[in-house]
Amino acid sequence: MATETEYVDAGEAVDFRILSPGLVGSAPPVAKGVNYDRILKGRDAESHNWLTYYGAYDGQRYSPLDQINTSNVKGLSPAWVFQCGSVGMHSGASTYSLEASPLVVDGVMYVTGFDGWMWALDAKTGQELWRYHRASPYDVRLCCGNVNRGCAVAHGMVFMTTLNAHVIALDATSGKLVWDQPYGDVRAGESATVAPLIVKDMVIVGSSGGEFGVRGHADAFKLETGERVWRCYMVPAPGEPGSETWPDDGETWARGGANCWTTPTFDPDLNLLYFNTGNPCPDFDGGVRPGDNLYTDSVVAVDPDTGQIKNHYQYTPHDVWDYDSTMENILFEMDGRKCSGHFDKNGYFFVLDRTDCSLIRVVPFVDRITWGEIDADGKVTPRVFPDKEGDPVHFWPGPAGAKEWTHAAYSPKTGLFYCPVQDVGATATRRRREFKESIPYWGAGVAVDTEDVSGYLSAIDPATGQERWRFRNQFPMTASVLTTGGGLVFAGDPAGIYRAFNDSSGDLLWEFNCGSGHHSSPSSYTVDGRQYIACPVGYGAWTEGFFPGALAAPGGSAIYAFALPE
Amino acid sequence: MAATADKSVIEGLIKQNGTTIGAVLGRGSVGVAEEGSDGKMHATVRIPMDELIFEPRVLVMPHGGELELEIINDDNNSHCAVLPNNGDAKFIWLVNFSKGRASLNLDGPGYYWYGSRTGNDEGGGLTGTIVVGGEVPDEAKLDRPPQPRP
Repeated sequence: MATETEYVDAGEAVDFRILSPGLVGSAPPVAKGVNYDRILKGRDAESHNWLTYYGAYDGQRYSPLDQINTSNVKGLSPAWVFQCGSVGMHSGASTYSLEASPLVVDGVMYVTGFDGWMWALDAKTGQELWRYHRASPYDVRLCCGNVNRGCAVAHGMVFMTTLNAHVIALDATSGKLVWDQPYGDVRAGESATVAPLIVKDMVIVGSSGGEFGVRGHADAFKLETGERVWRCYMVPAPGEPGSETWPDDGETWARGGANCWTTPTFDPDLNLLYFNTGNPCPDFDGGVRPGDNLYTDSVVAVDPDTGQIKNHYQYTPHDVWDYDSTMENILFEMDGRKCSGHFDKNGYFFVLDRTDCSLIRVVPFVDRITWGEIDADGKVTPRVFPDKEGDPVHFWPGPAGAKEWTHAAYSPKTGLFYCPVQDVGATATRRRREFKESIPYWGAGVAVDTEDVSGYLSAIDPATGQERWRFRNQFPMTASVLTTGGGLVFAGDPAGIYRAFNDSSGDLLWEFNCGSGHHSSPSSYTVDGRQYIACPVGYGAWTEGFFPGALAAPGGSAIYAFALPE
Repeated sequence: MAATADKSVIEGLIKQNGTTIGAVLGRGSVGVAEEGSDGKMHATVRIPMDELIFEPRVLVMPHGGELELEIINDDNNSHCAVLPNNGDAKFIWLVNFSKGRASLNLDGPGYYWYGSRTGNDEGGGLTGTIVVGGEVPDEAKLDRPPQPRP
């Protein structure tokens, strides 16, 4: 051991980021003027930007941009690529994946990665402007991988959730922390992966942890200060409306699930948030929770000013197949009615009247459905489910569903929905277990099929429920769809292939191998008059759930920006 | 079934060129950071000569917050540390017989790894753990009766 005088002074540890060549350190103050009003009008008034998670509050994932169109898309190629890699030992080291939807404000891209990363990039060149890296506990409970689905921008700040269930606000020019609010209990198995949503003067988030027997909730915070506005539990406490759908003895309600781990859509005229809730707990053992188990597997319409539940529709009452309904409820108009469209894990496409969440139409959108049946009136008849201890039961769709959380799109030009479909079954064997906080609480052993699986991209007419066209893929389709004013539909697959289709005919017009599978939500924008398609790539997450045949697929962590030649 | 390891095998897991080539991660001594009057926690970790480990190998912070860490390289080789910290990791280069400092902010509860990202120091044993204890604030907890824990 050296004596005190012999030690060399190594100084103070520095921010790791300063050792990254090319990192600028700040971004132009473009986000300062982004507010609720601009987000409300954003898609039409400033279509060069992608200001909020779905591109607009209605969740359509539609960009009016048409520079890239059916006649020239064959010339599309990468304009730049940003790669982030993986540093040191981090949680879910084998499961990290890029799942975000990049936001773009006047030439600056804000995008999150796995493991607490957030970047501001020059949307024209891909140059890194600033970075923020939240330290994430190695042991945080993650059912479905080390992932994050994106951020929100307003009032000069960028908002994201962290794996250990904080919502944080960063200065959009410097990337420095402005405020930090924990809103989940990691010791209970809670985490956070949702992209926040700005509504009025609030930032709206939800919790993850539905596989650990938590009580799902959505939360609203003042966007300027992080002060809590409300919390809305998605499983009612005894005595509250809906509590009659849970056993009136015991504490199953307290472990009931119904997490909100994807971003809600929002109707400003009706002043309603449409939350999408997850599975009940335990996922597969319904014997311990007789009843419909509200508000699991539901769309829940919530007043954003009060956090009060106004309406709901339950897509899978008393779910015993892990059929979360966390996938989006897309808002659209049909025959003068305010509607919402939702492709559920259970394999059915629901069209609701969103004023009261009443059913207009329900039709299957995947070929193989054996778990049960939903008739035209919405009556649910379960047929195959794991109800006997130790008895394996096979059913379609598997627990990742006929469509996972990755989002469908709707084109107001064609009036069609475009849905990424997974035709994958699974076998579940009920295994009742005692509940212990933070321990997975499934109530079954589950093995998802590795053979006889496939997928497709389907164009579906909500007016009839009929499929207009289908692109059949060798593999399940596990990434969000994007549709544009150029008459295009973009969709990626697990093998890394990114494709563009004619939105009316389904003709394949372009494809590019990104080198790693797609499990994100691409967006579109323009800078200096040039249109880009931004596409995060990097396969991982809950692969064993939606496509175990891709567990050994090449990993990756890149953001591609595609454009036409200048 | 596996036979119980004898003492030499177990001791060989935490030394260089013992049971395996390096020191197996996660095994070894445990230290606790001390609360200072400045509201921060304080601790020292060392890299002992030819052991390729951080000592203590597990450092416990009683709760989330600020940690003032002193890092001393008593080895006659150069190493470094990439340390977890909210906002960005911290980096320090540690030449032979050097001493440095790091100010870290970490949430609790949870634990974090850090390591020397030169050569394969990390695999050889120079990967340490910072364990943060405590509970989340009451306002972040679920409104439900106390639940059983493992």
